[in-house]
Amino acid sequence: MTAFVGRRLAQALLQIWGAITIVFVALRVLPGDPAELILGSQATPEQLAGLRAQLGLDDPLPVQYLHHLQGLLRLDFGQSWRQGVSALDACLERLGPTLVLSAWAMVFTVVLGFLTGSYAARHANSVADRLISVSSLVGQALPPFWIGIMLSLIFARGLQILPSTADGTMASLLLPAFTLALPFVGWLGRLVRTGVLEEMNQDYVRTARAKGLSDQVVFYVHVLRNTLVPIVTMLGLLMGNFIANGVIVEVVFAWPGIGRLLVDSITFRDYAVVEAVLTVITVCYITLNLLVDVLYGYLDPRIQLENA
Amino acid sequence: MAAMDEVDRRRFLSLLGAGVAGVSLPGLVAGCAPGGSGAGSGSGKDRPLSAAFNQPINDLDPHGASAVDEASLLANRQIYDTLVTRTGDELAPKLAKSWTQPDDKTWEFTLRDDVTFHDGSKLTSADVKASLERLAKSDGPQKPLWTAIGTVEAPDPHTIRITTTDPLGTLPTNLTLAFILPAAQLGRADFFRKPIGSGPFAVESFTPSSQLLLKPVKNYWGGAPTLPGLRLPYIPETSTRMTSLQNGEVDVTWIIPPDELKRLAGVDGVRIESKPGVNYFLAWFNCGRKPFSDARVRRALYHALDIKGIVASLYGDAATVMDAPIPAAVFGHASQQPYAYDPELAKRELAEAGYSSGIRTSMMWFKDTGPLATELAQSLISAWAKVGVVVEQQQIEKAAWIKRLTALDWDIELQVNTVTTGDADYTLGRLYTSTANRMGYANKELDGILAQARSTADQEKRKSLYAQACEIIWRDAVGVFPAALSSTYGLRGAVKGFSPAANSQPEFRTVSTAQ
Repeated sequence: MTAFVGRRLAQALLQIWGAITIVFVALRVLPGDPAELILGSQATPEQLAGLRAQLGLDDPLPVQYLHHLQGLLRLDFGQSWRQGVSALDACLERLGPTLVLSAWAMVFTVVLGFLTGSYAARHANSVADRLISVSSLVGQALPPFWIGIMLSLIFARGLQILPSTADGTMASLLLPAFTLALPFVGWLGRLVRTGVLEEMNQDYVRTARAKGLSDQVVFYVHVLRNTLVPIVTMLGLLMGNFIANGVIVEVVFAWPGIGRLLVDSITFRDYAVVEAVLTVITVCYITLNLLVDVLYGYLDPRIQLENA
Repeated sequence: MAAMDEVDRRRFLSLLGAGVAGVSLPGLVAGCAPGGSGAGSGSGKDRPLSAAFNQPINDLDPHGASAVDEASLLANRQIYDTLVTRTGDELAPKLAKSWTQPDDKTWEFTLRDDVTFHDGSKLTSADVKASLERLAKSDGPQKPLWTAIGTVEAPDPHTIRITTTDPLGTLPTNLTLAFILPAAQLGRADFFRKPIGSGPFAVESFTPSSQLLLKPVKNYWGGAPTLPGLRLPYIPETSTRMTSLQNGEVDVTWIIPPDELKRLAGVDGVRIESKPGVNYFLAWFNCGRKPFSDARVRRALYHALDIKGIVASLYGDAATVMDAPIPAAVFGHASQQPYAYDPELAKRELAEAGYSSGIRTSMMWFKDTGPLATELAQSLISAWAKVGVVVEQQQIEKAAWIKRLTALDWDIELQVNTVTTGDADYTLGRLYTSTANRMGYANKELDGILAQARSTADQEKRKSLYAQACEIIWRDAVGVFPAALSSTYGLRGAVKGFSPAANSQPEFRTVSTAQ
């Protein structure tokens, strides 16, 4: 087990380093210069050169890269030139709202996914099952920004029963969280449906029925719990997806999260913040993956043995 | 061993279940946090007024990187004061009661003596001196306005004396952008997260590019604000911003895009107010490059455009056709004779200039430069195609656009420009000189006029000098100046005492909400 975790940890570190390097290179390859964006279009060449030197932008790329890595070891991403604070602080300040949104999207996904999936499985091949299948496919296929704008038009502008922006109330969470959850409700629903159907055909179910247990007891006590095992391990990956998809949903619903910070920072070439945000997202994602892998190995010891 | 695992796994799963509940429970509480104010669609007496501008407030350092961003200026005007302010075409006293000019390089300002910062400390000439010196030294986009500052002296607590290296008639105008900060606090590293000023509103909380929450200053020297608070959220998605006005989440929002104006005007409980603005579209020709080094070509391209038709169909009431290289709301504007829409004349002029077989060129812009920028670009391009000028569309990203703009690496470029100070010097004097070399146009006569207009303090004389400058730029068709954008505001019915501002920086001190 230790060897398994150790190897996965080493892989994770390598992945994080790779991501940091790709982000670093990608940002510098983009046309556009922070000094020009800071000083505006009326700056003189001398002013630009001075600011570039001050920001360390006139060093050769490999030198900048080394400085960058050295900084990272001290968790120092540099200063955000736009906000005048440390890039990591600027980033962590916006992580909270994103996590809240993701957590609620997770709740919606799990509740709705299990409800629709298990209903569909218990009424397999009925009209309702087909309807759920089709709508889950549609839900997965629709782009989140479109879903978001449509929900906002219907519930906020049309019916006027929900706020369209983060205004500090619980109600303002509903639309963005639901928008974020929708594509994955269908995805989870299909997983649950397949899982339940598989378990229903297992010997222990027949045994339980033979003992004279009611359908309800067989389903909730035995089948559903066994379906949980593979699915729970998928939820970690889901969290990563929420954080990534949140970029768009946060813009549509003016949610003050990390995704919007990322978009703004890219527009303004606020390198330090872009790097901090992407690194935080990457670390979150890789950590969750790592947890899931370890978890999976723990829940199903056969996995560890295969990897050993 | 197997049995142990079995039990552990079950316990583990139930723990996991508890974990999920644990994550969502604080979420339930924290869910109330992002908005911060607790302001819902319902209205209470103490609910702050929500005012959503269409651009984000990036930071609150009025001398920093965002110093001429309209959104930052909007915030700064609520939090800080300036020595001088602009009302319409006139300069008016603010922190400075009066000012004199002992000689043409020296200015003396007498300060009010009843002004305090939000922390209760008195505002004196030492604060003004520290602020102006900080501004002159800053690397921000305001730097060009302050390069002529020689020394700033504070002979007594109520007097500030500024000497300039050259005569600078625009100094009082430039001072409308110079926000005064408390000298004693300037060294504090985190000062601009919750800064202190002497303006009518004080900062309660600030999340960059997301939300600024302000509270009224009861003892503001100019009279306390009526509002219980002011919330300035940034809503990036236009459709969401319109929705939040319609369902009452925000009380005021601007700018209303042209394609939403008509629809919003018909919505119950919402009214539209607008004012001719200081933002305008310009399409410069790169006058240093063939074929645009020939004024005949530039004029021909102007004659090829049905500007009236294009502006009316795209913008309706949200913009007006321009008759000068600066909008009518700007000091120094002088009406010129419009270029008649005449494609035949355009073709003849092109032939005279030696381009009877047409021209292949390109135009660059970035999408968010202004409302319907892409549509406007396409309208211009298709009109030019009709006279044999084939223009390649280059819609690029803002950062790339700035890079090419400053490098003069373009043929035609389209942008929305802002006359931030409301004075022609800011645009004409800054952009059209041979030394600025912003569009390859060089004209000694114009250089002389602009320099004189900058140095003289006589406003009438400046006006007539800018009239000459307008005429030269217009006659030489340095660019096409299609439309001045109106500042269009959408307001909830309950909002009273609001007056739309041409520069998108309305005053909120006098605004109230009827309950």
